[in-house]
Amino acid sequence: MLVLSRKEGESLVIGEEISITILSVEPGGQVNIGICAPKEVLVLRSELQKAASVNQDAASTASATLVDELRSAMVHRQTEAPRQPDHFGKND
Amino acid sequence: MRLNTKYFGEISYEAEDVLEFPNGLFGFESEKQFLLLPFAGSDGNMLCLQSTRQSTPAFIAMNPFALKPDYAPVLSGEELRQLGAARSEDLCYYVMCVVREPVGESTVNLRCPVAVNPDLRRAMQVILDTEEYHMRHRLDEFSGGGGD
Repeated sequence: MLVLSRKEGESLVIGEEISITILSVEPGGQVNIGICAPKEVLVLRSELQKAASVNQDAASTASATLVDELRSAMVHRQTEAPRQPDHFGKND
Repeated sequence: MRLNTKYFGEISYEAEDVLEFPNGLFGFESEKQFLLLPFAGSDGNMLCLQSTRQSTPAFIAMNPFALKPDYAPVLSGEELRQLGAARSEDLCYYVMCVVREPVGESTVNLRCPVAVNPDLRRAMQVILDTEEYHMRHRLDEFSGGGGD
């Protein structure tokens, strides 16, 4: 990762067509960033890309059997009492 | 209207059953209409978020409060405005499940719940502004609690 420092109002240029400007830094730490890029370049917050990837995994449809196993595990989880330690040792 | 669903075969439904997702879902921005179909025998805690266009995508969604009773999603002002709600507490929430084998390794996305305004039949998936919840919580990390 290339690391640079910028102050409020300063900019970076990436390649020939992309520029990034630090617009303002708020007291809570939030940084407002302006991005100039061609329409066809997708700019996303990283979490959005990660969220899309997790949704893709969620959309891989599981078999009806597996889904039913999941359903019964859920119900079992709710009604199961907390496990107690096994006090019954071996016969000496 | 009729629909061939992923897990329930062919079903019929009414227009008022449909949830509108003006922004779609992350990675599925063009899917704007879904049905929420509860699985029988899950106490309403496990549902299928089923596209109305065709049988896929169909997601497994769960009631997050059945897993984590103190789950407390907080939406931004803009998100509340888009959903037509005054407070985060006024909405219903469902979390998307990645189903794995064995099922204990399945994960739920507590960081990006689907927030629903049941009165307006409008919903959106949001990314909560907190480090407390993650996108892949293993199901077996949630201990069983006593039900009511």
